[in-house]
Amino acid sequence: MTDDRLTAEILRNALCVAAEEASIVVVRSAYSAFIVEGADAAAAILDARGRLVAHSLSTALIQCASLRSALPHLLKAHPAAAMRPGDVFVLNDVYQGGIHANDLLVFRPVFVDGAPAYFTGTLIHVADLSGLSAGGMASDATDVYLEGLQLPPVRIATADGLVDDMVAVLAANSRTPGKLVGDLRALIAGANVAARRLDEIIEAHTPAGLARGVEDYLAHTEARMRAGLAALPAGTGRGAYVLDDGHRIAVEVTSDGAGGLTVDFDGTDEQVPLPVNSGFSQTHGGVMYAVRCFVDPALPMNEGCFAPVDVKVPLGSLLHCTRPYPGGGRFGAVAAAEEAVLAAVTALRRAGGVAASGILQAFSISGVHRPWLHMAFDLGGSGARRDHDGADATGALFGGGRNIVPQVEPVEARLPVRVEEVALIPDSGGRGRTRGGLGTRTVLRMLEDARVDTRGDRLLRPPPGAAGGEPGRAGGYYRLRADGTREPLGTKATRQPLAAGEALVVETSGGGGYGAPAGRDPAAARRDAADGRTA
Amino acid sequence: MSVTIASDVGGTFTDVVLLGGDGTVRVAKTLTTPADPTEGLLRGVAQVIGDAGAAPADVTRFVHATTLATNVILERTGVPVAFVTTEGFRSMLALGRQARVEEDRYDLAYVQPDPPVPLALTYAVPERIGADGAVLRPLDEDAADAVARRIAADGVAAVAICLLHSYRNATHEERLAEIIAARLPAGVPVVTSAAVWPEIGEYERATTTLMSAYVGPVMASYLERLGARLAALGVDAPVHVMESAGGVLPAALAASRAVYTIESGPAAGVIAAARQGARHGLADLISFDMGGTTAKAGLVRGGRPGITHEFQVGGKGSFGGRRPGTGVPIKVPAIDLAEVGSGGGSIAWADAGTLRVGPRSAGADPGPACYGRGGTLPTVTDADLVLGYLAGFGEFALDAGRARAAIAEHVAGPLGVDVVEAAAAIHDIANAQMGAAVHVVTVRRGIDPRGFTLVALGGAAPTHAVRLAAGFGIARVLIPPQAGVGSAVGLLHADLAIERARTFLAPVNELTSCSASAGGLRDLADAFDALEDAARADLSATGDAEVTRSVGVRFVGQAHAFTVDLPPGPITPGTVQRAAEEFYKRYHESYGIDLRDPAELTTARVRVVLPAGEHAPPAPPGAPAGTGGARRVWLDGAFREVPVHDRAACAGEFAGPCVVTEPQCSLLVPPGWRGTVTAEGALLVEPDAGGEA
Repeated sequence: MTDDRLTAEILRNALCVAAEEASIVVVRSAYSAFIVEGADAAAAILDARGRLVAHSLSTALIQCASLRSALPHLLKAHPAAAMRPGDVFVLNDVYQGGIHANDLLVFRPVFVDGAPAYFTGTLIHVADLSGLSAGGMASDATDVYLEGLQLPPVRIATADGLVDDMVAVLAANSRTPGKLVGDLRALIAGANVAARRLDEIIEAHTPAGLARGVEDYLAHTEARMRAGLAALPAGTGRGAYVLDDGHRIAVEVTSDGAGGLTVDFDGTDEQVPLPVNSGFSQTHGGVMYAVRCFVDPALPMNEGCFAPVDVKVPLGSLLHCTRPYPGGGRFGAVAAAEEAVLAAVTALRRAGGVAASGILQAFSISGVHRPWLHMAFDLGGSGARRDHDGADATGALFGGGRNIVPQVEPVEARLPVRVEEVALIPDSGGRGRTRGGLGTRTVLRMLEDARVDTRGDRLLRPPPGAAGGEPGRAGGYYRLRADGTREPLGTKATRQPLAAGEALVVETSGGGGYGAPAGRDPAAARRDAADGRTA
Repeated sequence: MSVTIASDVGGTFTDVVLLGGDGTVRVAKTLTTPADPTEGLLRGVAQVIGDAGAAPADVTRFVHATTLATNVILERTGVPVAFVTTEGFRSMLALGRQARVEEDRYDLAYVQPDPPVPLALTYAVPERIGADGAVLRPLDEDAADAVARRIAADGVAAVAICLLHSYRNATHEERLAEIIAARLPAGVPVVTSAAVWPEIGEYERATTTLMSAYVGPVMASYLERLGARLAALGVDAPVHVMESAGGVLPAALAASRAVYTIESGPAAGVIAAARQGARHGLADLISFDMGGTTAKAGLVRGGRPGITHEFQVGGKGSFGGRRPGTGVPIKVPAIDLAEVGSGGGSIAWADAGTLRVGPRSAGADPGPACYGRGGTLPTVTDADLVLGYLAGFGEFALDAGRARAAIAEHVAGPLGVDVVEAAAAIHDIANAQMGAAVHVVTVRRGIDPRGFTLVALGGAAPTHAVRLAAGFGIARVLIPPQAGVGSAVGLLHADLAIERARTFLAPVNELTSCSASAGGLRDLADAFDALEDAARADLSATGDAEVTRSVGVRFVGQAHAFTVDLPPGPITPGTVQRAAEEFYKRYHESYGIDLRDPAELTTARVRVVLPAGEHAPPAPPGAPAGTGGARRVWLDGAFREVPVHDRAACAGEFAGPCVVTEPQCSLLVPPGWRGTVTAEGALLVEPDAGGEA
């Protein structure tokens, strides 16, 4: 018995390590401006039934959900019987589990007894793949074709190497072909490494041993997930969240009291011809993130977590877009869905309200006279919790942290921009008995003519507080003229000119406060003042 | 008579080793005294000097490994520090780069770690240097003086300065340091980032600088106290402190560059393993160092320990490794190793029906239940004792009754299994956790461990090493003489060494093409010369020294560089081109991508080493009375009577299953393995031909 348990433990670790190694290989060999100075790559191991077995540590759940959702579509397009050892596939189709044009998903089958039994998958945001704006963040893309090149599941490599014709098409559709091909190579290298590790695991544990180990692992996780969810009382809780443009996400979360959960977004507004919709995989990932917040945080993330949660999203709604509605700006909608689920589960537990968080605010800057591209995002403040202040500028709701925000010196060494400020904004956290986390201000001065795309939410409707707490301070995007005049840029601006000498200002929203501000502990207020968190 | 003493202060035990001029070795293992580590240390020093019949004045060198710097950072017990940076970036440390990974992401109760310096002690001054080193905005000296006055009023014990792009142009940092120092009491250290580690990446450079300021005064006073206590004993030899990359530093330098000593203890184990390997003609080694509190694995390839330039103190563990973005990043070079919080003292516990081991440790106080020092919780050592693998640890008699009682109460009872079964599970889980550390440094990096030799060091290692090796298909385990204090033995021979580096960004083709500006190559050569001069000055090295120069190389547009050594001699287009070729080769090996895109240099590094000189190899210690006989040992699901050999009396070959005991540790040779005593006094354990391993 001890031996079995030990073997299971070793096997489980080996699978997670294989996924982790794949993500490290991708990060270290990629060219994407998004990846090189901070952000992480996603890597996962799945089985031929499409079940998520393991994924890399820092993978955002929405990326992990994308890899999981896409595999069945791949298998539909390319039946397992038609796959050969050495095949590698790529896709980005938002209606087939993908995210948007720039997020490439790469899969490689791992064979047992001549048939694909497992798949390794990797995913990153690549440098550029066509579309209205360099970097793929055009907020005026009214359909998916304007977001970038569409890739259904296609074979990108075989045992003989890259499929050159495909690579040529992809390169021809990128403003930065060298970087794109580099990123593609990195994704394939990552999937190959994980596949090699999986082969070694199969050799060490036998195919049957691995299959049994995977079953046990998923079953054990599912049992723990159900045990955690069973702590929620039977009944239904409702939540809603309204996006900046007035669109509303509504959700009902129903617990059967025995560990089963139904999450139904019936009543959510319809999809719109702008990139604010979310593909199903992204919504699913967001739901799993929110639900995971109410069970043991140390639970491994695999199919066992997905199994007890039934997610219903109306087809053609803002959270489950259909062709040709674009899905590239999904994180605002996904964050709203997460906030709504957090609120619904909290209502179910009769545990007071939830103060909302500032979310990540993306932007891309590209050269006018020569091709260069800077893509990054800044992070908003978390909502205050009942017992403690919200965290400053972290990737709440997205599963990332500051590590994804590049440092100043490498950016200046690489690009014609000068960063003049990266600072917490005093008083940006919503006041309350506990305070919302602070947002940040980043000021980037252009040294050459450039264009900027912005993509944010919770800027027109700042994150509300709860239980009498105040909303966080609304962030925004601004153009700072050379003479110091500050003009607002849109919260979803596209290709706005920034002349040399002008600056882009990105301010993220603070989190909402919790409880009446009058109830704040005077010592906490004094500490905030001493630290400059309040003016 | 001239003797060298080496000492390694661990979380549980303090190991002291004396090497006599004739090669004789004396060993003392004392319990670490956490309140004042010099206490346990001095007890050990007095003991080995006494045992050797030497006089304190005979000691000519005192080499020391200490976890002080790590502990100060982890426990946040450094001195109050003020931090000064460029205007606009006062939030730099508060924002940090903490990645929320694993469970942190789903934790609604997540609380941000406090920044290493409170915002209230963080200041910004108007000034700006550009990425090319040009002054974009001169330092505002009046504003700087106003900051200096406020820092003086804060009453801090040290100041850290990190201004943007100071790695290219340090003039603002240096002038600011003068202005601030002028307002502070004499002796308050003002540390600039360009002096500590002039590499690009402001956050990492800032934390490295800050930690130097934060730990430095604590390290200085510790080393002063140690020096005084040694002097009181009559030992006036210079004190050398192990640094993270495997060399040793003079005590004064260790105090002013305290961040260099963060991996002091663990590095010693890898150095020891490399040395043992060299003696045996083995170049590919995995050092496995398992003490009371932690276990570490390091890799030696081609005789050289791996070095990393990015590690985190207090980083969140992931599979025994350190995950970037989760701790305090320290840029100075360190021996690359993986650490798991699991050692002989790790506490076993039942958690909702499953058995867990660690990460809590019983440490030295109260220690495992079997020590009889008040510990009542079962540890890995207790399990090993119940299974018959141990008999005693030197002067520490072990109480098997207490071990059984602790396991029965806290593990076997709650899980509904019997005590021996529970003990076997604890032993196996500890092995699995050790495996995670070995995994990180081998398999995870695409390195097949099967061709390597596992070198067992530390009191608990020999008990676990052979089974650990078997799990990886490793067919050779080396147990050096004095394996139980192996890290301290490694210190005996450590060389004085220091590394200096600075960012040097330049495309390779600009340094190698026919039209290459001679200026670029000259700049690189000048950078190396300046780094070498500074490193020699650190060590007061005027004469012969081993100088190694290396460069960071990466593809233009990527962020991660490989470090490639340059040959001695002039810097030419050819040497740079060969470095680029080596980079292409290693990139291909590492990632399976055969790419020849344009590459660039990122960093110039120089390491200066003053060899300690060859000592006579330690002779085997004087043999204490052998225990001999036989013992009941749990093997493959049953107790078996197996022979017990006294290591001192061991010669030739011995077959498993058996146990080999020595004062500081106990080697378990499972069935299917056999041991040989090597000419160098080590034990080499290998599978029987056709055996189970």
